[in-house]
Amino acid sequence: MYCINEQQIDYILNDISARGVEMESLQLNLLDHICCIIEQELEENGDFERFYRTIIPRFYKDKLSEIEEETHLLLTNKNYYVMKKVMISSGTFSAAALTIGIILKYMHAPGASIMIVLGIGIASLVFLPLLVTLKVKEKQKSKDKLLIVLGSISAIMMSLAILFKIQHWPGANVMGVLSPAILALVFLPIYFFGGIRNPETKVNTIVSSVLIIMGCGLFFSLTMTPAGMKIEGIRVTSSYLRNEDILKNEERQVAKLAKTDSINAVAVTASKNVLKTCEDLKAELLEYATGVKALSSDFESRNEIIGTANVQDFLSIRESGPGKLKAVNEAVFYFNSLHNIKPIPVTWTILDQSNNQYNNKVYMALNDVIQIQMLALQNQRALYESGGQKELVMQ
Amino acid sequence: MIYSSELIKGTLKTIVLKLLEDNSRMYGYEITQRVKELTFDKIQITEGALYPTLHVLEEDGLVTTELEYNGKRARKYYSLSPEGKSKTKERVDELADFMNTMKFLLDIKTQTT
Repeated sequence: MYCINEQQIDYILNDISARGVEMESLQLNLLDHICCIIEQELEENGDFERFYRTIIPRFYKDKLSEIEEETHLLLTNKNYYVMKKVMISSGTFSAAALTIGIILKYMHAPGASIMIVLGIGIASLVFLPLLVTLKVKEKQKSKDKLLIVLGSISAIMMSLAILFKIQHWPGANVMGVLSPAILALVFLPIYFFGGIRNPETKVNTIVSSVLIIMGCGLFFSLTMTPAGMKIEGIRVTSSYLRNEDILKNEERQVAKLAKTDSINAVAVTASKNVLKTCEDLKAELLEYATGVKALSSDFESRNEIIGTANVQDFLSIRESGPGKLKAVNEAVFYFNSLHNIKPIPVTWTILDQSNNQYNNKVYMALNDVIQIQMLALQNQRALYESGGQKELVMQ
Repeated sequence: MIYSSELIKGTLKTIVLKLLEDNSRMYGYEITQRVKELTFDKIQITEGALYPTLHVLEEDGLVTTELEYNGKRARKYYSLSPEGKSKTKERVDELADFMNTMKFLLDIKTQTT
């Protein structure tokens, strides 16, 4: 029996890895196997190197690294079937969930939101990535692989952008612009110039490229440009300032009346409290949306524009937000409980929690608040004009 | 007659599992030698097929491994996991059934040598 020394073990190990076997456990397997063969088959004073060279071809057809390739192939093929199963079931589930979600949404039934989120979420985070992984494996050329990856990144981003948009999560707009941008500026050139050269794929390439440009173009036609958003913001802000002007005028008128009469203490105080808490809430909302507590007529040059900020974010980001809203709510509730006043209607305003008004934009909330203030002022005026006699009796 | 590698490929997992069931723990070279011995050299498992299969069995959790070092050399012993034990019976039964079906399908009546 031949006895192998340490140097010869190193020699074998080096040779195995030089021949492309990189997995450590496979190296150990082969090393031990080769040693066993040598020990069993080589006579005691035989030529180690020559014998090694004659037995090593037993392990392969063309080259030794075949063993490693075969191992990888078997291991990935095993995952292949699991991945395929998961892909099919996740795809079916997300399509069904999205369909049910949309039907529920149109019926205005509960559960619509969760089904839509599940549908889009699973489609973009489970189904599409699995689809890409499987498709990439099928393609031979690295350019084809790159195209699949780029295309699906764009698709995943687009569906996530829509999901984030409807859920009012941050980052929706960035993804919504990046997705078609990747498609048009990175995917398209690689695809177009790759396919146009080959006469077989030429027509298909041109048609698909036109479709991609049309798709991206239609999408960008639908979206608001930054300039458009600014104009919209200016429109909204100047509308707010006009309302604010009307309110201030009304306040001055009522203040004049107040000097002639001062007996409607309870209701007047309640009304004044509504006005005061509303002012606080408005300042808070304005500061959140524009950075300043009050706007002046040159808001445009100062770039203090009420944009598309929404109330839900305001309430979760600004710590004092919910408190200010609660104060208005309590003041209005108390005012409405008094006699001889005309109650301020709050349904479908920012104070109405039952209709999910928190999803509204800040500028709409500001409008609601001003209207509440106007109604309180008109009540105050009526009280002053009627002299407040009845109210004194009732209280 | 030495059987073609295609025939052996489909049954290699079953052969390895059955050998491990009978011998509690074995290493790669031992497996190839034992198969040769038991089949009078008719089945010769190639290293290129054996080690990838052993890796898959390990990945699937059907076999467990122990490394034993002897200087720079390490010998990897394979033995059946509890899951592997039940799987072995399943696969041997499946193969037996398959062979019966094949006999019928190919109309093999008597054994020829």
